[in-house]
Amino acid sequence: MKRVSKAEPSTSTAPSKSAAAGIPMRQFGKHHDIQVSALGMGGHHLGSAKDEHTAIELVHEAIDGGITFFDNCWEYHRGKSENWMGKGLKGRRDKVFLMTKVCTHGRDGALAMQMLEQSLNRFQTDHLDLWQAHGVGFENDPQLFIRPGGAAEAMLKAKEQGKVRFLGFTGHKDPAIHLSMLETGFPFDAVQMPLNAFDASFRSFQARVMPELNRRGIAVLGMKPMSGHGEPIQNGAVSADEALRYAMSLPVTVTITGMERPDILRQNLRIAQDFKQMTAEEMKDLEDRVKPVAADGHFELYKVSLKFDNPEARIAHGFPIDQQSDEIKEWLLDAANDGHAYPPTP
Amino acid sequence: MSNESQNQRDEHENQFSRRDFVKGAAAFTASAVADARLALNKNTRRGRQSTTSGTAASSNQPVPKRDLGKTGAQVSVLGIGGYHLGSTKDQQEATELVGRALDAGINFFDNCWDYHDGLSEERMGTALRGKRDQAFLMTKVCTHGRGKDVAMQMLEQSLRRLQTDHLDLWQIHEVIYYNDPDLIFAPGGAAEALLAAKQQGKVRFVGFTGHKDPAIHLRMLAQNFPFDTVQMPLNAFDASFRSFETSVVPEANKRGIGVLGMKSLGGSGEMVTNGAITAQEGLRYAMSLPVATTISGMESLGVLEQNLKVARGFQRMSEAEMQALRDRVKAYAADGRFELFKTTKKYDGSVGREQHHYPTAEKLPV
Repeated sequence: MKRVSKAEPSTSTAPSKSAAAGIPMRQFGKHHDIQVSALGMGGHHLGSAKDEHTAIELVHEAIDGGITFFDNCWEYHRGKSENWMGKGLKGRRDKVFLMTKVCTHGRDGALAMQMLEQSLNRFQTDHLDLWQAHGVGFENDPQLFIRPGGAAEAMLKAKEQGKVRFLGFTGHKDPAIHLSMLETGFPFDAVQMPLNAFDASFRSFQARVMPELNRRGIAVLGMKPMSGHGEPIQNGAVSADEALRYAMSLPVTVTITGMERPDILRQNLRIAQDFKQMTAEEMKDLEDRVKPVAADGHFELYKVSLKFDNPEARIAHGFPIDQQSDEIKEWLLDAANDGHAYPPTP
Repeated sequence: MSNESQNQRDEHENQFSRRDFVKGAAAFTASAVADARLALNKNTRRGRQSTTSGTAASSNQPVPKRDLGKTGAQVSVLGIGGYHLGSTKDQQEATELVGRALDAGINFFDNCWDYHDGLSEERMGTALRGKRDQAFLMTKVCTHGRGKDVAMQMLEQSLRRLQTDHLDLWQIHEVIYYNDPDLIFAPGGAAEALLAAKQQGKVRFVGFTGHKDPAIHLRMLAQNFPFDTVQMPLNAFDASFRSFETSVVPEANKRGIGVLGMKSLGGSGEMVTNGAITAQEGLRYAMSLPVATTISGMESLGVLEQNLKVARGFQRMSEAEMQALRDRVKAYAADGRFELFKTTKKYDGSVGREQHHYPTAEKLPV
């Protein structure tokens, strides 16, 4: 019984479809007047595209395919992700619901405002549709967020100034930390978290956080439907089709996924355009099937390691950085002096 | 010696009984006066120096011993960590280190089947030649979800490397993955090996270790398996962050299971190198908890001597001192930055990663 209600999208009103193509549109939390595409384009992977031209083409094709939800973050690829998305959105800004994230990680609200200005400049826009506190993943983050002078104050100020329409936070580490963010009482419009079939039985956001958000009318933004870098798909534990359909069948507003190549974008567009809600039985079968390999978290490394914790989070909290991070590689590359003026040669 | 160990025994029953307080007050009036003077000077350099000289005065006293749970065995309050023994520059240094430790009254020796691919056990075995009877020798088994047969094979290898026919304590290593308790207690699992080895007289006592999450430790204890010991990270930071001290230690004490503390300084001294505490404070705090021993890595004679300054004639910190230290480090403790074994993959060994299909340390360092 419980299962049936879970599989039912929060937007139980007749789902409309994007005008351009057949991706389902869903209501953004309690905001009846706002609809976003059930599939969202992840900003980190966009910065991993082969080059700027490819990235711009990806954005264009995504919009033409019916995607309206665009995710990004101040620190992705040291600004490249926001810059490229901004170029892709030129002349198309009004067609999309644009989100980015701020990387204070406990530091002051003044820093958050600086980051916001940078994000707006990179996007070449005067406002964001959604601005979120990024990567809330350390136990003391909620406290640091809500403290006097912290990022919470900056968020309210940005909203007041009309620079952002809605506010939220994201994180991939621990449902308990998400719940303590909610306990701060801050008026969040959206909350982002990893949602996939593995999460269902391991330190589960689906079980602990999602129902609370649905109850409060806060938009649920799912991410990592394919575990971050598609590990279980490469490994054969699930197919891309199953993984994405499962995530989109949860009571979420949008499922954000990374698409750095045209073939991946087209695969996901096809799944989303043909989207058919999984039945409760189908979902349960998939959860049961992956349960044995979900139990130690090796397909959810964002919960059990620092792998998905970006350098800004690590630096703000005094944790070690490592050279396998895209941002650290790019940071080191920034020091290369090739004698050329801006822009640097690739 | 008798004073200290008598105190420890009493404390296992009731750490703060009035009887202990009165007896302690009578016996250590002199040091209480010294402590009061220290408290006045606690923020001055002079205060710190007098702390050092205060403990240096006890340089001829042996390292005290405590009861190991309800096993009947007694172990030194400071134990020699096996991993770091494998980091000594050669066998000669390892032998000398082990000899000096024994002479100072340390009898607890920690090791593990996979430390330095066996080198740690080999060095310890050679260093203990002819002195085996003076040592309480522990090593760990690295099944990480595999069964009894693998465990028994590893035991034979450990015994051979350690050049002995029995261990005093054999523990399941690194219980840090959320499904480990299920795998250990599955039919044919590692728990059965612990019982078999004990029955065969190859090990006297059994236990388990882990550094990740108190919830996993509690799930292990909830099996009601006859563990003699349990090992965990214990330090001033742990007290306020995913705390083993507040959740696992009381449970183990209640059951009479010997508590073995480790990572008193963060695993690699992170707490000290970052300037959050001094090595002496960190070690004293850990040893002041209701534990049988605190295992510390010492890869050189210099580190051993430094630790012996704390451990010889060791007196526990007062509860007020401990609370002051907890409060002082609380801000650093709050995100786990100096307890990387809880918050990152840094301290998770390669055998466990492999068995649990995790990326290698090269691919996923933290």
